[in-house]
Amino acid sequence: MNRPVPVPTELSEPFWEAARRGDLVVPYCPACDLRFFVPEPACPGCMGPEWWYVPSAGRGTVYSVTVVHRAPGPGFDTPFALAVIDLDDGGTLLSHVDAGDPDAVVIGLRVRVDFRLLTDEITLPYFVPER
Amino acid sequence: MNDRQPVVVGVHATEQALTLPDRDAMDLALEAVRGAIADAGLTPADVDGAQVDWPGPGGVPGEGSSWARMLGRDLRWTSDSMLDNAGSRGLLKAAAAVRAGFADTVVVGGCKLVSRGAGPVGAGVPLEFADVWGSYVVAQFALVAARHMHEYGTTSRQLAEVAATIRNNGTTNPEAMMYGRGPYTPDDVLASRMVATPFHLLDCCIVGEGGAALVVTTAERARDLPHPPVAVLGGGMEYHQAAYANPALHREVGGLGRDAATRAYAMAGVSPHDVDVFSLYDPNSFEVIRQLEILGLCGEGEGGPLAASGAIALGGKHPVNPDGGCLSYAWNGTQQMTLKVVEAVRQLRGTAVHQVEDAELAVVGNAGSGAQHYEMSVLGRMR
Repeated sequence: MNRPVPVPTELSEPFWEAARRGDLVVPYCPACDLRFFVPEPACPGCMGPEWWYVPSAGRGTVYSVTVVHRAPGPGFDTPFALAVIDLDDGGTLLSHVDAGDPDAVVIGLRVRVDFRLLTDEITLPYFVPER
Repeated sequence: MNDRQPVVVGVHATEQALTLPDRDAMDLALEAVRGAIADAGLTPADVDGAQVDWPGPGGVPGEGSSWARMLGRDLRWTSDSMLDNAGSRGLLKAAAAVRAGFADTVVVGGCKLVSRGAGPVGAGVPLEFADVWGSYVVAQFALVAARHMHEYGTTSRQLAEVAATIRNNGTTNPEAMMYGRGPYTPDDVLASRMVATPFHLLDCCIVGEGGAALVVTTAERARDLPHPPVAVLGGGMEYHQAAYANPALHREVGGLGRDAATRAYAMAGVSPHDVDVFSLYDPNSFEVIRQLEILGLCGEGEGGPLAASGAIALGGKHPVNPDGGCLSYAWNGTQQMTLKVVEAVRQLRGTAVHQVEDAELAVVGNAGSGAQHYEMSVLGRMR
């Protein structure tokens, strides 16, 4: 068994399409000027029906991190740093931060997006230390 | 006291074990229901509401009204949702039905055989932005714990104190899955292998199989039943978002349950310091520390030092999980929440394995999914 592969939905297809091009995009609601993640059927800020994807510069800060030694299933190289990243331009993502040594990934670490191929369809937004 | 005051009059816990190869889910659910009804001194036909898992075979799997044929009567109240059939959430919904008069006597419970061939504990459905990163229940709670430690200076040793204290209650509880294992020191916890920082193996709860059920009725109906009734004095529920789809963030869920607790205490007319015993969700050591804060036993960020002070031990100011909790007694899927009620009821009846002396007031706290939801109830011995 391999690592679970995301199955795009009508909400997320543009996200994965952008990721294949190496672009990070996040849902944006113009009515309440909110960037959010994950994509939802309506804006989680105002329940507004209209939102669209906007580009993110892909830079942010580690809000929290756990170094996972026991993966939930096969297909993961352990240990890995599972982190929550607050993007500078809005939105909060779950990802992995690859800093070589997972224990070097600490809260407050500055990171930037680093796309990596998972399958032909899915390219994943990893993060790496900013410098 | 109002005649329709909801009270718990019957409880039953089946055997709990890592695996129960000779049992199936339906037979455990049947035992739980039969046991709770018998403990209440009632017969199946006395029960007019059922919030109980129906795994099948027979009936329609997942449809609660399948229980009508087992109970031998038409039902006035039922539930098709696993989470509505367990713990404080199930109890409060049943109590609301009884209080309102939709039903007079409701059985709540079920069972799950979780460990047999199951994957890691998670949402049970594919999650597009979580599964691919290897996010699962331990890691989700770890993300909350790590931020709490960062903000307040909570330490791994304080977490280990919690784990050792609760596990040691199970060490001497013959009903516990981990009976006879241990005792553990905080150093033992810290020396166990890392699962997901900051959680070592012994910081994390066990995974097993079993069932449980309880019976709620009115104080009036309870008068001629064998056990002293345990009153549902108050309760509250709080839901941040659906489980696991988004990561649990400390800034969003660190205080989750505080509103529920405030409402529950007010409803019961009690203060947190009046509570004699706490039956709390302990999927890991940290979640107990978080609950000490939201339940009003200390200020925000003070849960670590309070937990490590001996307060949560048997004989301490705020004893937590005298049965050994999910860390040592049992975790069996959603019905571990019902086991928390069972322990609180036994404490208030004075029949617990590790009895808190003269316990009159108990709190049951259920939570889950990296603390995305919280359900709590205040239970009291009827005077």
